[in-house]
Amino acid sequence: MTETAAPERRTRPRIGSHAFLMLLLVAFLAPVAWAVVSAFKPAGDIVSSPLAFDPGTFTLDNYRAMLQDVPIGQGFFNTGVVLVGKGTITMCFAPLAAYAFAKYRFAGRNLIFGAVLVTLMLPTIVLIIPLLLEMKALGWVNTYQALILPGAVDAFAIFWMRQVISAVPDELMDAARVDGCGEFGIFWRVVVPVIRPGLAGLGVLTIMNIYNDFVWPVVVASSERMATLQVVLSTLAQNITGNRIGADYATVTGELLAASSVALIPLLVLFIVLQRHFINGILAGSVKG
Amino acid sequence: MTAAAAARFAGTDRKKRRTSAAGRRRRLAPYVFVLPFVTIFLAFSVYPLFYTARLSFTNWRGTGAAEWVGWDNYAYLLTNPAFWGSLGNSAVLWLLIVPAQMVLGVLVAVLLNSAKLKLRGLYRVAFIVPFVTPLVAVAQIWVVLFDQRHGAVNAVLGLLGLPDIGWLTTGAWAKPTLALLFLWKTTGFIVIILLSGLQSINGSIYEAADIDGASKIRQLWSITVPLLRRTIMFAVVLQTLAVFQMFAEPFVVTQGGPYNSTTTAGYYLYNHITRADLGTGAANSFLLVILVMVLSLGFVRMLRAKD
Repeated sequence: MTETAAPERRTRPRIGSHAFLMLLLVAFLAPVAWAVVSAFKPAGDIVSSPLAFDPGTFTLDNYRAMLQDVPIGQGFFNTGVVLVGKGTITMCFAPLAAYAFAKYRFAGRNLIFGAVLVTLMLPTIVLIIPLLLEMKALGWVNTYQALILPGAVDAFAIFWMRQVISAVPDELMDAARVDGCGEFGIFWRVVVPVIRPGLAGLGVLTIMNIYNDFVWPVVVASSERMATLQVVLSTLAQNITGNRIGADYATVTGELLAASSVALIPLLVLFIVLQRHFINGILAGSVKG
Repeated sequence: MTAAAAARFAGTDRKKRRTSAAGRRRRLAPYVFVLPFVTIFLAFSVYPLFYTARLSFTNWRGTGAAEWVGWDNYAYLLTNPAFWGSLGNSAVLWLLIVPAQMVLGVLVAVLLNSAKLKLRGLYRVAFIVPFVTPLVAVAQIWVVLFDQRHGAVNAVLGLLGLPDIGWLTTGAWAKPTLALLFLWKTTGFIVIILLSGLQSINGSIYEAADIDGASKIRQLWSITVPLLRRTIMFAVVLQTLAVFQMFAEPFVVTQGGPYNSTTTAGYYLYNHITRADLGTGAANSFLLVILVMVLSLGFVRMLRAKD
């Protein structure tokens, strides 16, 4: 192989791979981009010429109509309440329990942790019926408790945090103990600062899961007052596919695209800002199954 | 001398007492730490699980008395064409999704793994965007995009001189349309998993292959894929679980139609809940768990057999 031939042979496949990746990139971004752009078109145009965009016809009418007809503010508020409630519980109690599983020997440890591993493998839908009945018995249907408490410290968070905390050297903890640090003090002042990247990953993954959660909220809290953002959104598409008689297709479509765009934005911004933590979280989260 | 010894003795005694107090705290601490988790876990995971097991042997409809019916619910499901139909729909979706996703995932991951690739960061972010967007929002966009008369997809087909397709209204096209949504949403996630697998492959093996004159395609097939087999199998198991539990996609996009063609295993299970047929629903969820576990174990064994 001569020295001049080598780079030439390498560039051609690279152009090919860029073409392939660019094509995929367009395919991956197009649906979202189309929705966000189309939401600023007059509702009639979205339906009559879905591919055209005339900046002269830019309008906020779809957003106005959406804010009037769709309880999206309430949806954001409910999702916010669940995020704060459930997120706080997960972030406080999952690492704490995982710390006990990773660093202490105590009666029942293996039994409980074994049960955690088993629930990791169970599809979530198995628990939906009995959980719903439990909520009915407690009088919790359509309440924040029902949205927050079940799964608030999920098995996966325990499993992952245990992995992370196991990697913290015991010597660090022993040193703190000699210095007279209490058991919780060791967790708070020694373990937590060391596992901060893992906690960030868990935080981002938790936010994503809670924000996008749909199946449990739609089953347990579908009333208009308690509907989370995703539940509010899901009713819009059903209007289009014909469940709401007499709805004007173009208007509903415009509202739907506006609402979807608004729902996409918070997570996209968060993702772009916290990319690295997202990717760590997703990678660790893939173990969940 | 004795006084000093006594003092020393007293000192160790005091020290011993202090360490035993600390020891007691150390023994009790883990129970306190796991208590909040265990409470929530028992109340909302363990208890419901046992409850489902019991419920699956009754004909309870949510009100009134529950009657013990033995294996009737399981027998009813196993002889019901609608149950098998839902599994069949999920199996077809699996075929449409998983092989295509693995091929695409490996190709993209291999390209992105090259350190010399320009715009690597941009691609990586762009491919994960679908994964972080809320499924419900995206599913709705799908409904609009794939609308037969007004959708952008048929408009593109029109530009190319192709006829309209009833993406969501014909039994033949509804499954591919859902499969496309699933592929679009989750392929970026598979790429990340495969990328993490690729990073554990030693680069020098490719240098050796280069020297031997093996083409890039040959290297992909003979080196990368075999070394990546565990990661690929892991991804296949994850996606099998996800496809057989698929619920939100048909719920939002097709409501299981047209003609039940998109009534997936997960959506069929939900139908029992809406009809308050809770005993059957519980039995259905156990059958689904068993199926999913058998499939996962099958893949794991396939992997072992080849090792």
